[in-house]
Amino acid sequence: MSEVSVSVRDLHKSFELSHTGAASLKTTLLWWKRKKNLERIDVLRGVSFDLHRGECLSLVGRNGAGKSTLLALVARVYRPTSGEIETHGRVAPLLELGAGFHPDLSGQENVVFNAMMLGLSRKQANERLDQIVEFSGLGRFISAPVRTYSSGMQARLGFAVAINVDADVLIVDEVLAVGDIAFEHKCFNYIEGFRSRGGSILLVTHNLVTIEKFADRTLWLQDGLVAKEGLPSEVIPYYRQAMEGPQAAP
Amino acid sequence: MRAELKELWRFRELLWAMVERELRIRYKNSLLGFFWSLLNPLVTVLVITVVFKFFLQNGTNNYSAYVLAAYLPFMFFQVCIMDSAQSVLGAVPIIKKVYFPREILPLSNVIANFIHFLLALCVYFVYLFVLWGVTGFATSPFTWKIFFLPVLLIVNFALAAGVSFFVSAYNVFYEDVKYVVGVALYLMFFLTPVMYFSETVYYALKAKGMVWAYYLYHLNPVATLSTAYRKTLVPTGMIEVKPGPGQAPVQMYMLDFDWTLFWIAVAVSLVLLVTGYAAFNKLKWRFVERP
Repeated sequence: MSEVSVSVRDLHKSFELSHTGAASLKTTLLWWKRKKNLERIDVLRGVSFDLHRGECLSLVGRNGAGKSTLLALVARVYRPTSGEIETHGRVAPLLELGAGFHPDLSGQENVVFNAMMLGLSRKQANERLDQIVEFSGLGRFISAPVRTYSSGMQARLGFAVAINVDADVLIVDEVLAVGDIAFEHKCFNYIEGFRSRGGSILLVTHNLVTIEKFADRTLWLQDGLVAKEGLPSEVIPYYRQAMEGPQAAP
Repeated sequence: MRAELKELWRFRELLWAMVERELRIRYKNSLLGFFWSLLNPLVTVLVITVVFKFFLQNGTNNYSAYVLAAYLPFMFFQVCIMDSAQSVLGAVPIIKKVYFPREILPLSNVIANFIHFLLALCVYFVYLFVLWGVTGFATSPFTWKIFFLPVLLIVNFALAAGVSFFVSAYNVFYEDVKYVVGVALYLMFFLTPVMYFSETVYYALKAKGMVWAYYLYHLNPVATLSTAYRKTLVPTGMIEVKPGPGQAPVQMYMLDFDWTLFWIAVAVSLVLLVTGYAAFNKLKWRFVERP
């Protein structure tokens, strides 16, 4: 448990927020107006944590606390404004509802392509194909275009790809509750196996039951800072209190 | 830039997979598939030929062979640049989730269009061969000059990739780029010797004592390449050009290949490729966080 797979040190991230919404030449050329339109938002203001091998770390916090930004930074989608992220091994994000699937291509074609996007070679992707199709439970539908799939089928396929690419770190952003109960069960079983093989998970969910069931540790993010870190049983009560507190007060 | 190229090389398999995907998607739901991309140039060239041969009464034999030789590369450039505008912007939902070198997006678009262009060239060779065999057109498609074609293709590819880098990157932030590029490409079609010959431009400007403007005209590398393709693919045919104002049109061979113009085109293309890639790399981390 001591080996670190993701190490985050004093991470800062800020974005420019546009109040006009339109990204056009106008906003760049009229530079004296730009200052009014753009506002800097500090989403993360110095976050540090370690994710160990085989560990499941869950992030909680109210909407806009910076959870998804943190995940995207670990997935190398964003560049940090300052601070360091060190990852060991391959990081695979679980794509929500078949993002990255092309509707006109078959499930099979999409599987191979997505697996390659997550870092497999073409050979490896073709080798995993059967395993992925088997896991998704789509059977003969796999050769039909993805546009004919239900959202549940798409999500199952997306999940099946992500967990079969042999990632070392799995990034799960509120996508577990997609399949039916049987599929959810299958996923949870798989995740247990994944962790026992040394894989680690970064989990964002608002489902506190899931956290208590799976997470080894919980990180509570508030206004871009770590408010509290520890065992779920230690952090969740405070978090719950903070979320319900203002409403409970008379 | 070297680190970036190394990273791109590491992801080369994904690049090919994306090229394959684009080729597959393009005609997935159409009955005639690839023939649609042949139909467009054939119909366009038919119309141009009718206008120039019959309305404007140009007496060049097999006018269509010359027009096609320049129109196919022009169309490659045009479609490539138009498509590149959306290549990154359309993929923003994916690149918000997964990391891979972003330059794969415009590059796969350029390569997919380039493959289409090569296929169209193959059909063009068949066309030339038929003209040669059936109508006794003076030009055989197979002269030693054909060996120059790969050089032209490489320069053309570099040019298209360079401009694509600029357009795809800036269009993420300013969607005005797409419209500006659309108008620019439309105007460029008239300022490129596709419908007419560069010899026409040369004699018209020479008669006015403005040969320098001929060089200015060829600062556009697409213009130089169009003529170069023509002289490579249809090298020995006679064309009809008016040598001066008030003079009767004469049949003549094309002017000699102008190496100065060619090297200018090569230089412009390479500069665009390098600066385009540099600009793209500078902007690529901000694609996902555009304001």
